[in-house]
Amino acid sequence: MIPREVVVVAEHVAGELSDITLEMLTCAREVAFPLGWHVTCLILVDDPKPFQALPLASDRTLIVTDAPLGSFNPAAYTRVLLHLLKDLSPRLVLLGNTSVGMDLAGTLSLGLGAPVVSGCTRIRGEGERLSFTSKLCGGKLLARTDVGDGLAIALVMPGSYNRELGMVDRVPPVEIRASPVSLEALPVRFLELVEPKTEDVDITKVPILVGAGRGIQSRENLKAVEDLAEALGGAVCATRPVVDQRWLPRTRQVGRSGMTVKPRLYLALGVSGAPEHVEGMKGSDLIVAVNTDPDAPIFETAHYGTTVDVLELLPFLTERIRASRGR
Amino acid sequence: MKIAVILRQVPDVVQELVIAADGRSLAKDELTYITNEGDEHALEEALILKSRHAATVTAVSVGGDEARDALATAVAKGADEALLVSIPLERRGDNHGLAAYLAPAITSGGYDLVLTGVWAADQLDAGLAGLLAVQLSFPYVGGLTAVAVEPAGNRATVHKEFPGGRLGVMEVSLPAVLGIQSAEQPLRYASVSKISQAKRTMQVKEFRGSLPNVEGVHVSRLTKPEASAKADMLQGDASRVAETLVRILRERGLV
Amino acid sequence: MGKLPSGEKILSCIQCGMCSGSCPLGYAMDYTPRRMISALRAGRIEDLYRSDAIWLCVSCFNCTFRCPVGVQITDRLIAGLRVDLLSRGVGVPSELATAFERTARYGNPFGESPKKRDAWTKDAGVDIRVVRDGDSAEVLWWVGCFGSYNKRNQKDSVALARILTALDVDFGILGSDERCSGDLPCSSQGEEGLFYELHQKNMQEFAKRKFKTVLVGDPHAYNAFNKEYPRLGTPLPVRHHTQFLADRAPELRRQMRKEIRMKVTYHDACCLGRRNGEYEAPRIVLETIPGMKLLEMPRNRENALCCGGGGGANWLDSFIWQRTRVPLPMQRVQEAAKTGAEILAVSCPLEIPRFEDAVKSAGLEGRLKVLDVSHMVADGMGLLGGT
Repeated sequence: MIPREVVVVAEHVAGELSDITLEMLTCAREVAFPLGWHVTCLILVDDPKPFQALPLASDRTLIVTDAPLGSFNPAAYTRVLLHLLKDLSPRLVLLGNTSVGMDLAGTLSLGLGAPVVSGCTRIRGEGERLSFTSKLCGGKLLARTDVGDGLAIALVMPGSYNRELGMVDRVPPVEIRASPVSLEALPVRFLELVEPKTEDVDITKVPILVGAGRGIQSRENLKAVEDLAEALGGAVCATRPVVDQRWLPRTRQVGRSGMTVKPRLYLALGVSGAPEHVEGMKGSDLIVAVNTDPDAPIFETAHYGTTVDVLELLPFLTERIRASRGR
Repeated sequence: MKIAVILRQVPDVVQELVIAADGRSLAKDELTYITNEGDEHALEEALILKSRHAATVTAVSVGGDEARDALATAVAKGADEALLVSIPLERRGDNHGLAAYLAPAITSGGYDLVLTGVWAADQLDAGLAGLLAVQLSFPYVGGLTAVAVEPAGNRATVHKEFPGGRLGVMEVSLPAVLGIQSAEQPLRYASVSKISQAKRTMQVKEFRGSLPNVEGVHVSRLTKPEASAKADMLQGDASRVAETLVRILRERGLV
Repeated sequence: MGKLPSGEKILSCIQCGMCSGSCPLGYAMDYTPRRMISALRAGRIEDLYRSDAIWLCVSCFNCTFRCPVGVQITDRLIAGLRVDLLSRGVGVPSELATAFERTARYGNPFGESPKKRDAWTKDAGVDIRVVRDGDSAEVLWWVGCFGSYNKRNQKDSVALARILTALDVDFGILGSDERCSGDLPCSSQGEEGLFYELHQKNMQEFAKRKFKTVLVGDPHAYNAFNKEYPRLGTPLPVRHHTQFLADRAPELRRQMRKEIRMKVTYHDACCLGRRNGEYEAPRIVLETIPGMKLLEMPRNRENALCCGGGGGANWLDSFIWQRTRVPLPMQRVQEAAKTGAEILAVSCPLEIPRFEDAVKSAGLEGRLKVLDVSHMVADGMGLLGGT
């Protein structure tokens, strides 16, 4: 018999489920519901308390506890997961296309003999077959892939599914188990979690953000971006490459492994729209993108766009906004 | 300490990507390659480690002819050894196959650390680093922004990125495979003359084996993202666009 | 010192200090050109490598121009030191390294696709022929990276294309076969290897085509083809567009359709003026425009103040600003405004964005416009409709 279960491997930090977990639950439900399959949310943790009464959109919540599972540890996670997933024998395992999921995919794939599809933005069950859509090459390509009838592992791209639908109005049956395997003598040890430095502006709390991408060209041009942000009463944030150049501090980075922001206005300047950035800002109320490349993927996410040169636009825009505010 | 860095050649997205007639792959003639960005950061991190410890760095370059250029750049930047692993275009992006193929070459090198980018632009299956770690029976952690090796050389302390700007500090027993997100410093520059000197003088070892046949994932269709979800494009010159934009913002009470 | 090109010239330095005194950023350098030479003579080259002064040079050529014994300070001493630093792989500001990497990979410092190099021609409103392998054209127009990719400069490329068409010139461009000439940011910034590579590739492309003149809009490309390529044994018949148009001044005058009753001052680009001795051509061209009044800034011709963007400094603005706090372009636009001019005419594509920004920072918006000479000529000829 073909297995009829989808397992979502939950991600959590400091006692809270991460957004990607809820997004994966939405994805799992979308696949499982029409096929009459069953969704299990699997949470590995030291203390089950914060998680046992959550109204998750799963058919059951399975919490596995052990002290080394308190913080994410790839060695501990894979040891537990290999054991459990063999037992559960699902059809589909969902991981986040995140720093956590990516640590697990390889070991689970080889350990369970299952194919992995990464960067998934959409998963569909067609009859009993699964089909996956993934983003490749900085979002410039979409690949459709099919896998065989056995277990498949998918890495779900953050921001692809609505996280609101990952919670419902009832708490599913919750089962708490101790880890089925010993977690001693692990080759990886978690030492501590370091919270981001708070001296700088908290970009997650600013209602207007001006995002600078590679198209800004030089550190010098950031001045004009800052002027615009100031005129708008907002703050400057950036894509990873800009932060990697040390033009702005890490605390200003938006996207995967940076901040997830949902301001009222996100003005993307010279941002190409690579998925790792887009996942951190696509929830913004209004997105305006400026990029000379009309094919830049950012225009799929933006509500408004323009291909005029950003350096040319900046002074006009700043001036008009100042004039508008002065009125 | 011996460090191996794996550098992959991936499609350069600055050039337009053209989908081949089969509808499932990229047109070969139109493709240009670039070293995967994460792998460049892995090389930088390895060279930073080399500057702190007595380490040798082996650059392992995977791809076609252009992979040779990546080796020259790596040597110009400070890598000590160069190993070329040629694979056909059709097998790019198949990390299961690549991990199995690379494993014997890495094993025979006796490395303490294997670094590579946590992610590759053309990646469709699991990340290479994690798969390679399983093939080598090494531990693996990825998404790293800093690596420090204990003086005794049997452990590394790493910084792993989590969402929300948080960092996890972890300790990993060596040997290990590490997936680098970004190096601790901006990438160093190798001048063109140093690269051409490296091209002339470097000793490239070539790894030859037979690519294992792995039942992986199959692309049934490759497409460009649809234009349907496109932004409303504002027309006119910079001044016109600025005017329209301010009107939109004002209508929404944003200015 | 013997390793440095024209090291023997450096030995003839009389330590008069003319170089240091004439350097617009000399006061911010711990090692001025004179002190650099004295350190070299004392065998203290390591001290120079530790100094930021080497990256403060904006290639204005004041020192070289004024040196009484002819030491090639900009092109040989500073460039030589930069070559040395680059080969050691240390101290290259990261903005510049990025520009180098992009130029090596894509043939332009912006990291744009080489295939899109002639994309601007689509909206030019006139036919612009791409001269292919084996083809010929009387005038082979080298559009340059800024003219091809930078939106602020593309309009001037369009203007020049229309002028050439109106003058019935048999011209064509290299399209996607054109790459950076290598003068900016490569040769004077010390990336000699990259310069040689670009030189070789570009000469291969030239060799495939027949032409009588190479026309350039960027004085840096002019310098590369006029001085550096010949030094490597490959002379080219190059004209800057102001020279090309000055040669045709009578024809321009005949074709003028419109009076431009404006006061104009011309900024001498360092690379065209002090570096290559061309001061008159742009002025001759401007004089063809009816109604226009040409005013001179006190510092003109060989005394002109630099825009601060030469020799790759265009990529080092923040690096230089942090160490000098003097915005050269801002000083220059203030000088221009003081003459009473309404237009600051320029002949180098870098100056358009640099001076336009400075005009805004100096609060001169609405009072001073920055325009390329070619743009003004096209305006006078009534060719700017639809741009």
